[in-house]
Amino acid sequence: MTDYAPVDLERGEQVEFDLNGRRVHAPPGTMLVDAAHANGVEIPIFCYEPRIGPPLGACRMCLVEVEGMRGLQTACSTPVSQDMVVHTKSDLAVDGQDGVLELILANHPLDCPVCDKGGECPLQDRTFRFGPGDSRFLEHKRHFPKPLDLSSLIALDRERCISCFRCVRFSQEVAEDGLLTFQERGGDSEITTFTGGAYEGRFTGNIVDICPVGALTSIPYRFVARPWDVTNTESVCGTCPVGCNVELTTREGRVQRVSGREDPNWIHEEGWLCDKCRYAFPAAWSPDRLTTPLIRDGGTTREVSIEEAVAAASVLLARENARPGIVVGPEATVEEGFLAQKIAAASGDAPIQQLGIPAATLAPIRALPPAELADLDGAPLIVEVGGDPANQQAIVELRIRKALRHGARLVMVGSRPHALTGLGEWHETAPGQIAETVGRLADDIKGTEGVIFVWDEQSLAQEPDAVPVLAELMAEVENAKQLELGAHINGAGLRALGLPADGVLEAAEAGDIGTLVCLLADPLSAPGASRWDAALGKTGPLVVIATHASELTDAANVVIPASMATEHEGTLVSMNGRAQRLRPGQEPPDGAAPGWQILVAIAHRLHTDVARSPSTILRTAVTERSALTGLSYKEMGRLGMRLRRPSPASANGAHAPREPAGEGLRLVTTRRIFGDGFAARSDALEHVRQPADVVISPAEASRLGLEDGDRARLVSEHGECVLPVRVSEAHQDGVAFAAVGVPGAGVERLLPADDGPVRVQLSRA
Amino acid sequence: MNADQVNAYLAPLRDRYPESRALILPALKYAQTEKGWLDLEDLEAVAEATGLTSAYVESVASFYDRLYLRPTGRRIVSVCVTLSCMLRGSDQLYARLCDLEGLPPEGGTSEDGGVTIQTAQCLGYCDKAPCVQVDVDETEGPVLPDEAEEFLAKVRAAAQPTEVWR
Repeated sequence: MTDYAPVDLERGEQVEFDLNGRRVHAPPGTMLVDAAHANGVEIPIFCYEPRIGPPLGACRMCLVEVEGMRGLQTACSTPVSQDMVVHTKSDLAVDGQDGVLELILANHPLDCPVCDKGGECPLQDRTFRFGPGDSRFLEHKRHFPKPLDLSSLIALDRERCISCFRCVRFSQEVAEDGLLTFQERGGDSEITTFTGGAYEGRFTGNIVDICPVGALTSIPYRFVARPWDVTNTESVCGTCPVGCNVELTTREGRVQRVSGREDPNWIHEEGWLCDKCRYAFPAAWSPDRLTTPLIRDGGTTREVSIEEAVAAASVLLARENARPGIVVGPEATVEEGFLAQKIAAASGDAPIQQLGIPAATLAPIRALPPAELADLDGAPLIVEVGGDPANQQAIVELRIRKALRHGARLVMVGSRPHALTGLGEWHETAPGQIAETVGRLADDIKGTEGVIFVWDEQSLAQEPDAVPVLAELMAEVENAKQLELGAHINGAGLRALGLPADGVLEAAEAGDIGTLVCLLADPLSAPGASRWDAALGKTGPLVVIATHASELTDAANVVIPASMATEHEGTLVSMNGRAQRLRPGQEPPDGAAPGWQILVAIAHRLHTDVARSPSTILRTAVTERSALTGLSYKEMGRLGMRLRRPSPASANGAHAPREPAGEGLRLVTTRRIFGDGFAARSDALEHVRQPADVVISPAEASRLGLEDGDRARLVSEHGECVLPVRVSEAHQDGVAFAAVGVPGAGVERLLPADDGPVRVQLSRA
Repeated sequence: MNADQVNAYLAPLRDRYPESRALILPALKYAQTEKGWLDLEDLEAVAEATGLTSAYVESVASFYDRLYLRPTGRRIVSVCVTLSCMLRGSDQLYARLCDLEGLPPEGGTSEDGGVTIQTAQCLGYCDKAPCVQVDVDETEGPVLPDEAEEFLAKVRAAAQPTEVWR
């Protein structure tokens, strides 16, 4: 991280000033530290962190001499002005910086040799570059017992803290959880939580990244590696559809840490990460990770080599009357999806589908100008329709909070209360009422220019009648942009390949599938699980390419262990259409291989000519799929590139309201941030995992005779499951809110295969 | 104390300050008059009345020596330990006072809740060093280490002030 704010030196309006005898320029209002950095002069800082908000001036490290101003100025809080004369290296400025650094180090233990931050520590680096190199202090340094666990993920070493306030300001002003505070004063100052309890939240790991010293360190990374014996790989997080830029730190062949990556113009996630993204990587070595290829024939199971497993899969696909069907899961990369399409085409145009939400009804909205997350910053009005960004696309929550601090107005329409609903105008709607509510608000919204519409894929797919209403409203607002809250990790990428969200299931039910291939897909834990379960009884041999063991792999005839997002190359497309490169930080375990390698091997055995490396596979895909036009690894570079917007599709009148059959409460589902397979398999997230439950209002609870903590049986027309009950005042009557994605909970069995609307009946289990 | 009480107290003060953050000290001082220290409920009341987070309010309160986040004794004895008083034996006086009340060297509140002993920075009575202030009474001095027992007896004998603003 550079720690400095991006500065646009090309922008029209600029002021000129003298910097160390050089005539330079920067936009008016730019802080001196940033203007100097943009012009190639480093002014040392510790507390300044422009992503957090206005400068604080707590550490005093950035002292510079400005002619005509009395004494030294803090460059972090002094804006540039025309003809200002600044000296950052004059005797006076250097003396000031030396003095501050000497004072900062007065109590710092200088235990760099045993400190995790050593080697990548701003305090260490800047002490070498700027400090006096000596100290006049002979007194004892202060001592605290160390370290203290701030949470199960973060350790606090109070001796090393230099009281820069970055972490406290992050907690108070960025995540706005209000948990971290500074207590006491002077030499007794220390960081604690307000409640005295753990610092737990969705974004806590960021304070480790922004700590300019070794006071806050990551417990899973504690004493694991030193910066000079690791390699860092720029990649993308593969745990949710936002697609945040991450850096994978590898030592001894294993990813040991995931941290935020510089986002130069703050376009995407600004370098912040959620804790799921940061701490999901140990899922790669969870006990249920598949490491042995298997062949099951009749009653016998054989452990085989991966070559044998691939050969067996190919034989099953190529045999007479194979009638294959291929299901692609949301974690598959663009390259893997494309290879699967090639294999399907080579197998006599076999049906192929992804486990996602059908795209047809949503096309009118997707054809409108898409927003980057950065567009939220200056938006006058944000309209959020459906969804639960705080859980499902966590970084969006941070960006909306930032927009609110900048004075944005936030209007929310939806049925599911979430972390942001208390911060804006929350129009709680019953499921099925989005169209009506948006219609009612339209006149109010229309008057504002540059509205950003944040819309939830799943909610609007369930309420197609709201799509034309919303699309028309967006068309009427000048400079409106839309930001999709996608439901699936690479849903947008697989959609760009033209993968439908149905076809295989229907064919399987009709008994038309001989060999079923599941590529990083587990239909038994996806919406429609009950239908898939029944359909699997009518298909022939099952080939599963998967990362972790499941009911599906237990039933498979051929199991081929595959790699995870931290282990292979490929392309993921974020929910708002940014194609970004995955780069491997570690090898897949012995016995597993990258999904694309497995698919290339199968394709070759089927005598299908496919490219043999991810970059060439992508090149072929780009020539054959118009939605990917212009895409290449080179174009994606470090920060990805935007895919072409889909052309406006005709709506074809498919926007009739959908009313679920059956009786009972409407079911609204959400994927909790720490409630999916990544959290369940990562031991780092053990203490924050969220279990599955069903949330109902007190009125519904008393009507159903259920109490908090009871176990309830949920029955829909598709299937049933049993969940613990939580009663919440914040949730509306007439609706049951359940968490999906928790392995083994079975909420997906209640849902239709297109994740559409459904009703459930609750009773005491 | 609850937010309504704090709000009622702050209402006439609000116009005097450019931002609500500036109200935090008068609000905390007022909240402390109830029982002489601030509990979680008081902090939350001040937070609600000023529109700041409870965590921020607590960090401000912890900064000031005379805003108390733990129960205090009936009387609070503040011993000046800045230069003049230190040269005249305030360290010994402080140690003696703590010893007599059975407290650890860093001070605290006596077991019977009678007295809280704490250090203070310069009280401005260098001519009477070592000086001591009890609650917000007139600072007195010199109080020599030998006179500590007598001094404590006097403090304990006096009635608690009716106004518990300290």
